[in-house]
Amino acid sequence: MLHAARHAYDDYAALAEDYDARGWTDGLPIVPPTPEAVEAFLAAANLAPDTILGEVPTREVVVTAEHAAINAVMAGCRPAYFPTVVAAVRAHLHEKGNCHSTTGTLSGASQIVVVNGAVREEIGIESGEGCFGPGFRANATIGRALRLVIRNVCRAIPGYLDRASFASPFRYSFCFGENESASDWTPLHVHRGLDVNESAVTVHSAMSVSEVADFESRTPEAICDVWLEELLRKGVYADRFLQHGTILIVIGPEHQRFFLEAGWSKEQIRQRLFEKSRKPGPGQRPVSVAGPEGFMLVAAGGRGMASTWFFFPHLAWAITEKIRT
Amino acid sequence: MTSKPLIALDPTSGPLQRKGDRELAARPPTLDGQVIGLVTNGLGRSEDFMLALGDEIERLAKPSGAVHILKAGVSVPPEPTDWARLTSEVSVAVTGFGG
Repeated sequence: MLHAARHAYDDYAALAEDYDARGWTDGLPIVPPTPEAVEAFLAAANLAPDTILGEVPTREVVVTAEHAAINAVMAGCRPAYFPTVVAAVRAHLHEKGNCHSTTGTLSGASQIVVVNGAVREEIGIESGEGCFGPGFRANATIGRALRLVIRNVCRAIPGYLDRASFASPFRYSFCFGENESASDWTPLHVHRGLDVNESAVTVHSAMSVSEVADFESRTPEAICDVWLEELLRKGVYADRFLQHGTILIVIGPEHQRFFLEAGWSKEQIRQRLFEKSRKPGPGQRPVSVAGPEGFMLVAAGGRGMASTWFFFPHLAWAITEKIRT
Repeated sequence: MTSKPLIALDPTSGPLQRKGDRELAARPPTLDGQVIGLVTNGLGRSEDFMLALGDEIERLAKPSGAVHILKAGVSVPPEPTDWARLTSEVSVAVTGFGG
């Protein structure tokens, strides 16, 4: 049985205006979360409405499957996307995901959902050309669903518990897949301890973003050197609670091919980045990762632009969660 | 013929402000004789700041004691034992963060 309060409207226009007036949207139109639609989503994930996905202790908020389903319907998801949304919400609410901080911070950190495994093909998660941007329903609505949960259920509302000075357009939605078929590189979720046959999300809260464009380098070592300049310029911060951080690095195909041609694995890249970032020089910042595994490497994007994106973390670990169907 | 109303669900975890929610305690007229609780979330240099604030309060007033609480992390409440100390020993509390 569903527990949420019910509201009656004469038509969609009245509903849309009322939801907006109540502050229940991200400013964009929403799909009406009817009881029938919400029940279909819960059935798709085989979850009871009151299944607890996690909590935000400092806000005395408990997030249930029903909460997530209502907001996933509003975001425009299909029912088949809902298990992925559930995994993203669970990951976001992990204690070391530090969600009270990452969604309340002045810095306006954004929450990035990286999808791995067969689910990408099954529901149409884009990992190639334009995968960070608009045009892909699964990417757009899964990322949006997580953000609506953060807003409506976890109360991260601008001026209330979200104190971002500027925030970011990444906060509307940010979800993409890893291009696992581009190479034999180990997928992110396998590096994070899951089986290659499983599907998973990894949620990473990013405080700042750097696109490192480099059309000159032709060897793995040279590309790593350019990356290290940016890595050490900004650093990776961790506090007493986290002990160490994680950084998400999304490698475009024009950089990836030089590693593949030279026979480099992700493991070799991570090892080199770790070793070369151990001792920051003058004017450089510490890269506080526990080991090579702190560098989360993902292959994605389309051809043409020789760039790799660095998503520097807010005070949180990236959390990987299996998608359960 | 009348059409059926469109029924939709509340997407929130409840209203933001509820009647009877906890309110800030009244401020005492003086800090003289008070036991000051200083609750730090550990972010940035918040520990340094709260220690300095405690020193400043001691310089300006005559508190009867101080209880320093350092939370385990930004996103977690104080430990139950720390809550117990705050509610049983402290008469005025200050919370703060740093970045």
